[in-house]
Amino acid sequence: MTRRDFYRYGSIVLGSLIKLVIAVPAVAFLASPLRKRGQDAGEVAFAALTSLNQLKVGVPRSFAIIQDQTDAWIKYPSEPVGSVWLIRQPAGTKPEVIAFTVECPHLGCAINLTADGKSFLCPCHASAFDFDGKPQNQVPPRPMDRLDVELTAEPDPQVRVKFQRFRTLAQERIPLA
Amino acid sequence: MLDQLAEWLDDRTGYRTLIRTFSEEQIQGGARWRYVFGSTLASVFLIQAVTGVLMMTAYSPSSASAWGSVYYINNIMWMGWFIRGLHHFGASTVMVLLVFHLLQVVLTGAYRKPREVNWWFGLALLVLTVSFGHTGYQLPWDQKGYWATKVMTNILGGAPLFGPYLKTIVVGGTEYGNQTITRLYGLHVAILPILMILCLWAHVMLARRHGLTPPARPERWAAETYWPAQTFRNVAFLSIVVGIMVSLDLIKGGAPLDAPADPSSSDYPARPEWFFLCLFQMLRHFPGRLEWVGSIVIPSTILLVLFLVPLLDRILPSRFLHFLACAGVFGLLGGAGYLTVEALKADAADPQFQEARRKADAAHERALFLAASPQAGIPPEGAGFLLRHDPLTHGHAALEKKCLGCHFLGGQGTGEQTAADLKGFGSRTWVRGLLENPAATAYFGKVPSLGGMREWKKRSKLNGKQLDDVADFVASFARIPDDLTAEEWLISPGVAEHPGNQPFQKECGQCHIIEGFTEGGTRDAPGLFAWGSTRWLSRMIRKPGAPDLYGFFEDKAQMPPFGPDQLRGNDLEMIIRFLHNDYPLMPGTELKGTVAGVTVKMNDQVADQKY
Ligand code: FES
Repeated sequence: MTRRDFYRYGSIVLGSLIKLVIAVPAVAFLASPLRKRGQDAGEVAFAALTSLNQLKVGVPRSFAIIQDQTDAWIKYPSEPVGSVWLIRQPAGTKPEVIAFTVECPHLGCAINLTADGKSFLCPCHASAFDFDGKPQNQVPPRPMDRLDVELTAEPDPQVRVKFQRFRTLAQERIPLA
Repeated sequence: MLDQLAEWLDDRTGYRTLIRTFSEEQIQGGARWRYVFGSTLASVFLIQAVTGVLMMTAYSPSSASAWGSVYYINNIMWMGWFIRGLHHFGASTVMVLLVFHLLQVVLTGAYRKPREVNWWFGLALLVLTVSFGHTGYQLPWDQKGYWATKVMTNILGGAPLFGPYLKTIVVGGTEYGNQTITRLYGLHVAILPILMILCLWAHVMLARRHGLTPPARPERWAAETYWPAQTFRNVAFLSIVVGIMVSLDLIKGGAPLDAPADPSSSDYPARPEWFFLCLFQMLRHFPGRLEWVGSIVIPSTILLVLFLVPLLDRILPSRFLHFLACAGVFGLLGGAGYLTVEALKADAADPQFQEARRKADAAHERALFLAASPQAGIPPEGAGFLLRHDPLTHGHAALEKKCLGCHFLGGQGTGEQTAADLKGFGSRTWVRGLLENPAATAYFGKVPSLGGMREWKKRSKLNGKQLDDVADFVASFARIPDDLTAEEWLISPGVAEHPGNQPFQKECGQCHIIEGFTEGGTRDAPGLFAWGSTRWLSRMIRKPGAPDLYGFFEDKAQMPPFGPDQLRGNDLEMIIRFLHNDYPLMPGTELKGTVAGVTVKMNDQVADQKY
C-alpha cells in the first residue's frame, strides 16, 4: 500500500464512520413514534357510558369517550378522545347492546346517521352501513368496528365499553397498539 | 450502469469538474496538520446543523411547552438524549476549535494582505458562533435558560442610549415568556444560520481564492494535491474531535436539563456555559454603575482591535505588529483562562453556592421524576406547574413560609415554637403520641393555652389498649368523605362498633363536641368531626376562630386566619396534601422531610453552622 492509498482508504473509512455515528441515531430519533410507551400500550379499560334504560331498542345514540390522554409530554386528565354508537337490541337477544366506534374503517372519518335516521353514512366518501354495521356499498373495506360491551349487574345496568382504535383500510379488524 | 448514470449526470451538471477543483487543488509545501482547523470547524458546524434540524422536529417553542418537549426529546425519544447531547457538546467543541483556528491564523500572520477581507469574515463568524451559543441554551426554558436569558437581556438593557429599547425588542415585551422564546428560537434556527451560511460560504470561497497560507519557504517540501493527503489529515483530526464529543455525550449521559423555569425562585445560582464564565467573572470586578464597560465596551473594543489588525499592518512594521498580535491574543486567552479558573474557584469555595446548587439539583431530579410519574405527569398548563402542583415541593415550601414560624415540622421550624409539631398531623401516630403525652413539645408543651389535654391526661383512666383504640378511631376521622354529615357518618358501617368509639365518647366527648354523638361541656375544645380531613384542615387554616374550632380562645392565643388573600387556593391544597403525604415518591426515598430539596431550612442552618 502506498502512502497515497493509505490516505485514501483512511479518509473513506474514517469519514464513513463519522457519518454512521450521526446517521444511525438520527434515523432512530425520527423513528421514535414507533416506540411503544408503557402507558399507551397498557390494558384498555372498560368505561361506563350510560345506563341501559337510557337507550331505546333499535335507535342508535352516540356517546363521547372520556379518557386520560397523553399527548406526547403533556397529560390531559379526562379529555374526550373519541365517540361510539350504542344500539340497544330487542329484549332477549345477546348481546343486549352493540357498540360501534364512530371511526370509519375506510379512512377514519366520523360515521353519522343518515338524514332519515335509518342507517349509517360516513360524510367523507359515503361509506354506508346498516345498523348491524354491514357495508351497504363498495367503499368501506370491512364492516363497522364493534367494541366490547359489558353490562353491570345492577337492576338498571350500566353499559360499559372498551374503546379501541383499528387500522383503517384493512380487510381485517386490527387493533392499533 | 451506474457509470453511465454518473456519466450522464456529469454531462448535464459538470459535478465532477467541481469536485476536481477542490480535490486536485495544489498545496504549496504539502499537506499539513495545522491546516485542519478550518475544515474541522466546518464539519462540526454541519453536525450542529443536522442535530439541530432533528431537534426542530420535536422541540416546541413556548413557555408552557418548551421544557416538556425537551424532556420528551431527552427521556422518551429514541437516542434523543444522544442527539441533544451531541448538539450541546458540539457547541463547546466549536468554541474550542475557533480558538485554535484563530491562534493558527494569527501565528502564521494570515490576516495580512491579501487576506484582510477573509480575516473580517472570520471575525463575523466568531460573533455569530457566540450568538449561537447564547441563544441555544436558553431554549429549553429550564432554570438555567430562564435566568441566563434574564442576565443576557439585562446586559443589553444596561447599554447606554438604546439599551433599554433593544432589550424590550429582544425580550418581546417587559416580561419573559412566549415572545421571548419564539424570538430566541427564530434567531437560533433561522436568522443566525442564514447569516452563518452566507459568511461561511464567503469565508471558504475567499480561502480558496487565496489558497492556504504556506510556510515560509514552501519549495523545501514537495507540493501535494488536497485529496487525499490533506483530506486524510482533516478526517483523522475530525474523527478525534467527534470521538471526544461522543465520549463526553456518553459519559455525561447527554445534555443537562434543569427544573422548569420558575420566576419566583429566590436562590437559583445562575451560571452561564463554561465558555462564557470568563465574561461572567469579569462582570464581578465592575461596579454595577460601570457594568456596561465590562459587558459591552471591553468585548467590543477587543473585537474592534482585532478588526483593525490587518489595517495596522500597513502602518506599523509588519514584524512588530505580528509580535503585538500574538502577544495580544495569548494575553487575552491567558486572561480568559484566569477569569474562568477564578470563577470556578470562587464557586467551589462558596458554601452558599454549593447549597443553592444542591437545591437546584434536587428540584431538577424531582421535576424529571414527576414528569415521568403516572400519578403526576406534565399538566396541560405547562411544565411551570409541574412543581407548583407538587405537594412535596410546593406544599412544603408554602408550609414553611406560612406555618413554620409558629409550628414545627419534625422538630424544625423557622421561628420560636409556639404551636404543635405538624409532622404526621392527622395520622394515627400523631394522635397516639398526643394521647400518651400531651405535654411533649411536639404536641401542646409549647402551647400554654391548650391545657385541656394535659388536665385530661392527669385524670384519664384509659389503659394503653384503650388509648390505641381511641387513636385508631380518631385517625379514621381524616378519611370521612367530604359529603358526609356527622349524622350520616354515625350510622355508617364500622363507626358504632369501633372499639375506640366507647372510650372516645366517655372521655374525649366530655370536652370535644360532635353533634348527635358527644356532649362536651366540661371545658372548651375544638370540634373533632372529620378531624385531619381536607375539609377540617382547610377550615382550620382559613377560620381557626370559628365557634366549632378555637373560637373560645382570646385573640392573643388565636392562630391567625389565612384567608384567600394570605394563602391562595393552590397553596392551601398543596399544604394539606403535603400533610397527608399525598404525592408520588421517588423509589428509595422516605416520606416527608427526608427527600432532597425538602429539608431546605434545616440544611441552611446546618450549612451556616458548618462554615
Ligand atoms: S372515511 Fe368514511 S368513507 Fe372514507
